[in-house]
Order: sequence, then structure tokens, then C-alpha cells
Amino acid sequence: MNPKLYTFLWAVATVVFIILSSLAVASVAKLIARWRGKNRTYQARTFASYFFASPWIVGYIIFVIGPTLASLYWSFTRFKLPDPPVWVGLQNYIQLLTTDDQFRVSILNSIYVTLFGLPLQLAMALVLALLLYRRLPGEQAFRMIYYLPVMLAANAAMLITWRLVLNPNNGILNTLIRMIEDIFPFLVPVRQGVVWFTEITNAAFLGLQRGDFNLLQQIVARGLPGPEVMPLWHQSQLWSKPAIIFIGVWSCGMMMIYLAALSSVPPHLYEAALVDGASGWQRFWRITFPMISPATFYNLVVGIIATLQIFEQSYVLTDNGGPAQSTYFVAYYLWRSTFRFNKIGYGAAMSWILLVLILVLTLIQFRLANRWVYYEYEEA
Amino acid sequence: MAEYGDRLAPLGAYFKDWPDWAQFLPGTLDTVMWEGEPRGLPWLTAPRAYMCRTDILKEVGWDRVPQTFAEMVKLAGDATIVEGGALQRQGFTPLEDWQEYISLIWTLGGSIYKDDGSPNFDSPEAKAALQFMYDRRRAVLPNEQTAGLPETTGALLASDLVACQWGNLWGAPATSDPIWEKIELFPGFTHPDFPNSKPVVQVFNDWLAIPAYSKHIPEAVEFLKFLGSAENLNTYNSHFGSFPPRKDAWFGYVEQDVVMKKMGELMGQYGVGFADIRETAQFRDVLMAEMPLYFSDVQSLDAALKNIQEKYTQILRDAGRLP
Repeated sequence: MNPKLYTFLWAVATVVFIILSSLAVASVAKLIARWRGKNRTYQARTFASYFFASPWIVGYIIFVIGPTLASLYWSFTRFKLPDPPVWVGLQNYIQLLTTDDQFRVSILNSIYVTLFGLPLQLAMALVLALLLYRRLPGEQAFRMIYYLPVMLAANAAMLITWRLVLNPNNGILNTLIRMIEDIFPFLVPVRQGVVWFTEITNAAFLGLQRGDFNLLQQIVARGLPGPEVMPLWHQSQLWSKPAIIFIGVWSCGMMMIYLAALSSVPPHLYEAALVDGASGWQRFWRITFPMISPATFYNLVVGIIATLQIFEQSYVLTDNGGPAQSTYFVAYYLWRSTFRFNKIGYGAAMSWILLVLILVLTLIQFRLANRWVYYEYEEA
Repeated sequence: MAEYGDRLAPLGAYFKDWPDWAQFLPGTLDTVMWEGEPRGLPWLTAPRAYMCRTDILKEVGWDRVPQTFAEMVKLAGDATIVEGGALQRQGFTPLEDWQEYISLIWTLGGSIYKDDGSPNFDSPEAKAALQFMYDRRRAVLPNEQTAGLPETTGALLASDLVACQWGNLWGAPATSDPIWEKIELFPGFTHPDFPNSKPVVQVFNDWLAIPAYSKHIPEAVEFLKFLGSAENLNTYNSHFGSFPPRKDAWFGYVEQDVVMKKMGELMGQYGVGFADIRETAQFRDVLMAEMPLYFSDVQSLDAALKNIQEKYTQILRDAGRLP
């Protein structure tokens, strides 16, 4: 058959399928409305609503619900391409949770970045939002400039650029640190302290992760690093996760959410506080922070979901999960299992465990939210 | 081939009477064999050898390339420059390559599998090879706080940032670069404590095959034979910087280019195919996890080898390659 005709026929068939499926969904919705005793007008409106929404609904079922259910089934199978799936029950889950060292390492790495990276991201986003909220000349331009990292941060090309920026030898960041220290020599011991602290904490984490504190003992015994020792960023297993956290903090996507939240804080609260003689810190802590707590809650929940699924940084920045698997995150291991080891079932099981983990953490956040998230409408 | 095996169509019957078959290099044919039958056709051959900048070697007091493992460690240290806590020149690169580790095991006369197919990382060869890589790395990086080389573009060996490297010609300077007058290619070194030790040039072979489920195997074989002609293989590999896997395709760039000719000679004399590495993707992950932990002093040599042995055994068992 002529390839162009073949393509055209497929396009026609796709359009026909969309129309027919939309009609089907809309008809079912109308039927349900009739069973529920709704009048004709209501039925007609239901039909129209579902007819126009159906292309998305059908697409969602085919491209999201369908693969999700298939993934759930495969997670209970030994499915290694090109062999067909074979039912093995909970074997994949048991292996992941009890004997797979790499999975344990990847989960701990993901939790590390979430635990230490997320608070820093929230803090930085809030600080920037507070700075940008001030009505200053050129604020629109500043907002655009500060929002650029959000659009660029995890982009693969930007991550390649980050490799250059973070090169410990001649990268811009370390060069900048050295330049500043040349002007302010008293900062050198500060940098030494920061390097030592980072190495010790990460070596401790590594020890907990591997069950071996050999490296931590060596670092403690070595004492404060010399003045020539710079952060090694993505080249060292002790610095690779801080490097990823640094990039995450730099991107600061949460800033816009905070900016919007700050705009919704009633000004009369600040006026009343000023009249009562409240200091800047008191106004922030007693008014601003509680009033923007819904935004903080939102950023926290979304942030946990996002940081537990980090992948690009591992793949592009740090050479496939290295060094020494220090950036081997769950999403990366999942990808390797599925697309490199061809263990579809195993990768599927991993994705469901990650889903459950994220779900549990999110539910805990919602439960705890009652204690610290303040919604203005609750008082009303 | 170990990964796909019987999922590829057996081609013995089609190649049996093909006169061109005799032209393919025996080492490359090993790569496409599965249970005694060819399942593919070799496509490109990329040998990996050692290369050293003779001018840098002279600068640090060496008038020849290293010939033993110990000499390689010494040279790596002598040719390294560390200033301000960062490498300014690296005596050897790469420092943690898992494929070089396998090549070193072969160099020492060892193998990565025992006769029963189980991993052989409890062997003296595996231990000595890993110890050597650690020693060489320490000679270059005195401690884990030393920063690596600065970012650069182009081939490292042409940049004066590296004295010696291991690899194929893809990572080396272009063979037309005059820098090659100062580079010596050599097959490797030996170890006096291992009587079976001999230099090894690891040969990476790529191949094309036909899936077993194909409904047009005879037609696909004809196309494969067309692709595998001397002229086509020569043309393709000339653009790729690799070697055609058949003798009669070694004309033109292979013979005229001095570097290619030398590499071809090394391959012919010392070549060992990088083949039959079972469950490669997972095996690689195990090595890339355990080797750096040993190199950075997180775990001991014995612990690293034990972990590699246990994890790889389990991988092979899960894959059904071991009882």
C-alpha cells in the first residue's frame, strides 16, 4: 500500500475512533443521568459535557490508566524481555524490600536529598519571595530573572552546563570561591569548616547506608582539611548529593507559589501589628508565616513527590548514578532495571513501592497539616 | 551474544557456503557464536590498547613505556602533577574502568568465569588486578580530596593533561593529528608473579543479527551479506574510526594510516575478544558500585571482591545461568 495513503487512513481511523469513543462515553453518561431520574435538559447537558471532555478522558484511560494497570500486573510477574511475563506473586516485592542492596541504597539516597534538600529549597524560595515582594523599581524584571532558573534547572543541557560550573578544578563556582577568599582571607577557615562538616556528615550517611564507617573514621582522624581542599561536587561520593541539592535550591520553583501567597495576606494585619509595635521578625513569624502556611504545605507535598523522583541529575550530571552509586536514586534504578536490564516486572514493582512511599508520606503530611497549616476561611 | 543467544536466528546454514565467511577474523567470529553456531555477522572491531605520550615520559625520566604492572604504577605517579589540591596532569586515565579490570584479569592469565560458569572473582588474578588498579589510582590521586582534571575539549592525550591512557581510537586524538609522532601504542604489561601473564589487547566487536521471530530470515540474511561485503565494511568503519572485521576489507585507510596499521598489528598479535560477558548490564552495575568503594577506602579489597562474587553469582542464578 502507498505509505502516504496508509498514513492518511490511520489518521482518519484515529479521528473516527475519537469521535466514536466520545459518543460512547457521552451516551453512557447520559444513560446514567436518565437512570438517576434527571430531566431531558440535564441529560442533554450531561451528554454535551462528556462528549467534549471525552477525548481527554479516553486518552487518559488508554495512555495512563491502561499502562498503570499493566504495570501493576507486571509487578507480580517475572517479566524479562523478550520472554513473556510469568506470575511470581510477591517475589519482586520481597526481593526489593529484603535482599536488594541497590534498592536500599537508592531509597536512602532519595530520602537524603528529600530530607536535606527540600527544607533548603523551601527556605530559599521563601527568602527570594520575600525579597521580590517588596515594591521596588524593576521588580518585574527581577522576577523574570529569578524565575529563569526554574525553567532551566533540570533541563539536560543545563545539567551539562552544571558539570562545567561544578568542575572542582576550574569550574566557575570553585573559581569564584577562591576569588572571594583572595579578597577576604578570613573566609578560608570557614570554607575548610564547611568542607569538613560536609565530608563528615556524608561519610556518616555513607556508613549508615553501607554498614561500614571506615571512611568516616578516616575523615575524623585526618582532621580539618588543608586550605587547598575545595568542594569536589559531582566528582566525589561525599559531595555529589550536596551538588544536586545545590542545583535544586538554585532552581527555586517554589518561589512563585510563595509570591502569590504573600499577595493574599491581608494588609490590615500588618497595619494592626505595626500599631501594636511588632518588630519585623514578629510580623513575619506571627503573621506572614502562618498566613502563607497553605503555600508552604503545598510546596512541601509537591516537593516531596518531586525530589523522590529525581532522575535527570543522576543520569546527566553524575555519570550514571556515581561516583560509587552516591546518586543512584530510586527513579534511576527503576529506569536501569526496566530499560537496561530488561527486567520489566522488577522495575514495575519498584515503581509501585515508590508510589506507596510517596502516598504514605503525603498522607502523613495531610494528617499533620491540621497542627500547623492555617486556612483563613476556617475561622470564618 | 550471551545476552540474546537463542533469541537470534541461527545463521550457520546460510553462511556455510558463503565464500566471504572465511575472510572474517577468527576473533570477531567468536563474538557472534552461540552454542557452536553463528547468530550474527561481525560489523566493527575496536581494539583497546595502551597509549603513552613519549615526550611526557621523557620529561619524567622514562625512556620507554612500562612493561610490568609495577612499572605502570610508578609511571602513573611520576607523570602526575598535583598543585593546589587539584590534578594538573594525570599520569594515567581512566582510573576506574570496569572493562579495563576485565582486561587486566585476562592479562594476568585469569578468567572471569570458572568452568562451571560461576564468577571467578575469588581468584588470585581478580585480586591482583583490582589491587593494581587501586595502587595506580593512589599514585595519581594521593587522597580523596584531590580534585580531578579541569574540563577540556578534544582528546585528553592531545591536551598535555594526560600522560597515558587505555582505550580505543575513539577517545584518542584523530589519527591524522601530528601528536601521534609523540604517542606510543603498546599492548600492555606483564606481572612476574603470574607465569601465564601476557599483554592483552581487548577487542570490542559489534555485530548485526536477525531476531529468531523474523518471518523473512533468508531475505534478511541476503541483506546482511550485502552489508557485510568488504567494500561496505571498509567504508562504514573508515567513518567510524574502527576496523572492518574481515581481512580483505583492510585496505585504504587501514593500511595507509600509520596509527591504524599499528593498532591492527597489536590486535592481530594480542587481541582477545570482549565477548561472553553474561548479564552485562547488571554485572557492570555491580562493578561500578563495588570498585569505587574499594578505591575510595570505604571497603577493603577482600570485601569488594566478596561482594562482587556474591552479587554476580546471584545475578547469574536469577537469570537461570547457574543452578
